[in-house]
Amino acid sequence: MDTAPSNPLPPCPVGPDSLIAIKRQQTNPARWNGANWAAFAVALRAAEVELLESLAACGAFATDAGGTAYGMPHGVVIARDARQISNLLKTAQEHGVPVTVRGGGLTTEGESVAFGGVLLDMTGMSRVKSIDAAALTVRTECGIFWHSLAEELRREGLDYLSAPLNLTSTVGGSLNVGGIDVNSPRLGCSADQAVALQVVTPTGDIVECSETERADLFQRVILGYGQFGVITEATLKVRRYTPLRMHYFYYSSLRTAVEDLQILDRNDASDYSGILTIMDSAVNLLVAFDSDEREAAFNAKWRARLRGHGEFGFALRAIPRYALRPWKWPEALYLWQRKRQLFPEFRRPEYLRDGLMHDRTVVFSRAVWKFWGSRQMVIPDLATSAEKFIKAVERGNAVCRKYFPYYTLYCVGIKLRGDHKPHYEMSCIPPDATGWAYGCEFEPVMDRVYSRDHLQSFKNEIYDIGVNLGASYYRFGGMMKGYIRRALGDEVVDRHLAMKRKADPAMILNRDVIF
Amino acid sequence: MMPAAQRADFAACSGCSLCLLVCPAWRRTRDLRDTPHGRAKALQHGVAVVELKESIESCTLCGACEPVCPENIDLVGMLLELRRQLPPMILTRNITTNMQAERPRENVTLSASTPALVAGGMYFGRPALLARIKTLLGSARGITVANDNGADIALALEIGATVPPQRIERFLAPLRAHKTIVLTDGLLLRQVRAWLPEARVAGLGEALGALAPLRRQLRAGDLYVIDPRAYHADHERLVTHYDGLRAETGCTLNLDLQRIAIPATARSLRQRLGADAIDDAPQLRWLLQGRTIARIVVESESDRFAIGQLCTLPVVHLAELADDPSSPEGKQS
Repeated sequence: MDTAPSNPLPPCPVGPDSLIAIKRQQTNPARWNGANWAAFAVALRAAEVELLESLAACGAFATDAGGTAYGMPHGVVIARDARQISNLLKTAQEHGVPVTVRGGGLTTEGESVAFGGVLLDMTGMSRVKSIDAAALTVRTECGIFWHSLAEELRREGLDYLSAPLNLTSTVGGSLNVGGIDVNSPRLGCSADQAVALQVVTPTGDIVECSETERADLFQRVILGYGQFGVITEATLKVRRYTPLRMHYFYYSSLRTAVEDLQILDRNDASDYSGILTIMDSAVNLLVAFDSDEREAAFNAKWRARLRGHGEFGFALRAIPRYALRPWKWPEALYLWQRKRQLFPEFRRPEYLRDGLMHDRTVVFSRAVWKFWGSRQMVIPDLATSAEKFIKAVERGNAVCRKYFPYYTLYCVGIKLRGDHKPHYEMSCIPPDATGWAYGCEFEPVMDRVYSRDHLQSFKNEIYDIGVNLGASYYRFGGMMKGYIRRALGDEVVDRHLAMKRKADPAMILNRDVIF
Repeated sequence: MMPAAQRADFAACSGCSLCLLVCPAWRRTRDLRDTPHGRAKALQHGVAVVELKESIESCTLCGACEPVCPENIDLVGMLLELRRQLPPMILTRNITTNMQAERPRENVTLSASTPALVAGGMYFGRPALLARIKTLLGSARGITVANDNGADIALALEIGATVPPQRIERFLAPLRAHKTIVLTDGLLLRQVRAWLPEARVAGLGEALGALAPLRRQLRAGDLYVIDPRAYHADHERLVTHYDGLRAETGCTLNLDLQRIAIPATARSLRQRLGADAIDDAPQLRWLLQGRTIARIVVESESDRFAIGQLCTLPVVHLAELADDPSSPEGKQS
């Protein structure tokens, strides 16, 4: 596992100091200077849009889930309907006031932090409009949390297709950036579920779009990082709810586990798959099924081919490995303690009935927040083609080892849709990926307080791997926008910048995220 | 649940928003400011408590936010403390004065081995129901009904009035003789558990729900409405109790996907005090949405009253299950 880049990189056109191995400082965007704010506020209120300027309102949005980027908006608008957002954007265009749109605020690079201007809180628009159980679709406002959508769908015996394993992701946020679930190797990312959207363009037009209606806008808005409009409503595909039949396989080698994951994905051998690790010492390949038939087919054909072990078998093999290496006993102790804390959380009786796991997102998200959540969360990631993935994971793992004693890797595949290629351009889907893209999140456990420089240096080294490998990133934009240009190239970024300038003449919507 | 003193305060809020998902006040307004997250972030930014008055009074005190908070923040305790820091209402001053002047009321204690029942005012207004509860809970050894039901303390806690220590002591003194105390008020239950850590303190729903004759009356088609305040005050333990009840009887519980209780009503402080109009319909619609049910069984008499006002389905208090003519045993009798 080498961490050194093997190819020379072109100089960064955005940040000339962004050279590999040179420590860079956290780079919050400069705060907007507030020009015309007073006139804007008067005009906005005249347009009957409620603008909150109190510290209580603005302070609530001062940072995102990452907790390393801080910025205060001049005012907050709680989204209520498309007409109100249209009035907001028209007024903002006229006065040149930046508008930052926020869903669940689960960004980690400051993308949903307003460095001045207006913060538009989309969670105010979070109602389900209608459910069509026969057509298996739902029409919903896009500030809704995926979990709240699941609550409503479950009353009808339905479930969403795929959504992030985090209860407080919003539909709109995921449609803008991707959204990855452990069923993404089969069903694609959350953004691929959208059938139609209502969008308020940066100039305030309220437009319905889909693959067949205003397809150009639909392609730009899906996975568009909020650059080409505010998604206010979406029609999404849904499915019948099923609990999961879970299987866990444990590996001591990242490479072997990733290889097995990709074998399962290529052969459609499971309904859900993903890797969660405790460092690179205990690598868990999670495999799950929606039906007894699919599980039986897996057991018959694929189970014996996997090189992982059950919990007991893994422990038997780990004992001599650690017994002969006294210097690794602290790590063994950590593994044991982590297992004792974590495993019961995945086996809570109220979520397990007759051996089936119910409400997987609740189970996983509770664990994520309980064991990985903190005031600061640093989760750099790499998204690559299937071929480059093992290399990306191994190099990223070496960086984690260098910076932190304890960390987790989360790896999952994303089934790509050939007809969605236009959506994928300049997104988390790497341009060279075909069939599947793969993502790996590198998540340190914050066992102590780390300096922002330490965290930023860590992220930079992970992102450098992406530039070096020609990968992309899931956490795209914000303070890492310089990497986008370097990873994806000037041609594609400049082409999208030209489209952005045309759609958003005053460049007010979600500025500093990419452009 | 960890004692409040060992738990985190608002400074620990990371802004994860998990509290929004279960907050009935947020469901009503979709305004972050009306949530624990919004209040914690405002306080972290130095906002004065008085500026948060509207938010602090919007809380229903159902306690749903506490079990989902990954930072283990004492959110109910924090809210009660914020209410105490607000400028006092006339009612707040009056109730404190009255509590200082009140004379002790003695219980007739049967013995330490009998449980004590601290029943809210609504139950004294329905003597037949109270008698039924006494019969059910006291069938083995009898039961002591507390003469002092602490209703003024419960109200004081709710509105943020200071409860004089001597009043707390007068309330607790007769209860100290009992190893088991059953309370109908979930907010008071939370406090009594903290004040008398050695006692076994249970909500009425848990105590009645443990009785086999009543469990036998529950069936598929029942929506069983758990009292949220009592449930969330001891969620880690009670989630197993109620999951067992569901598995055993086939009834539907008013739980969401996180196993948090959806309240039948979501009233702000001002609504509880009658200062604002009550509109329980949206919350009740959400409770019933998409459920196929034939009967509603409630643990709380106030829920029975509220649901009965708006719903045409039969609504039965858990204690009255055996008397319900639609129950198997009720039909026999």
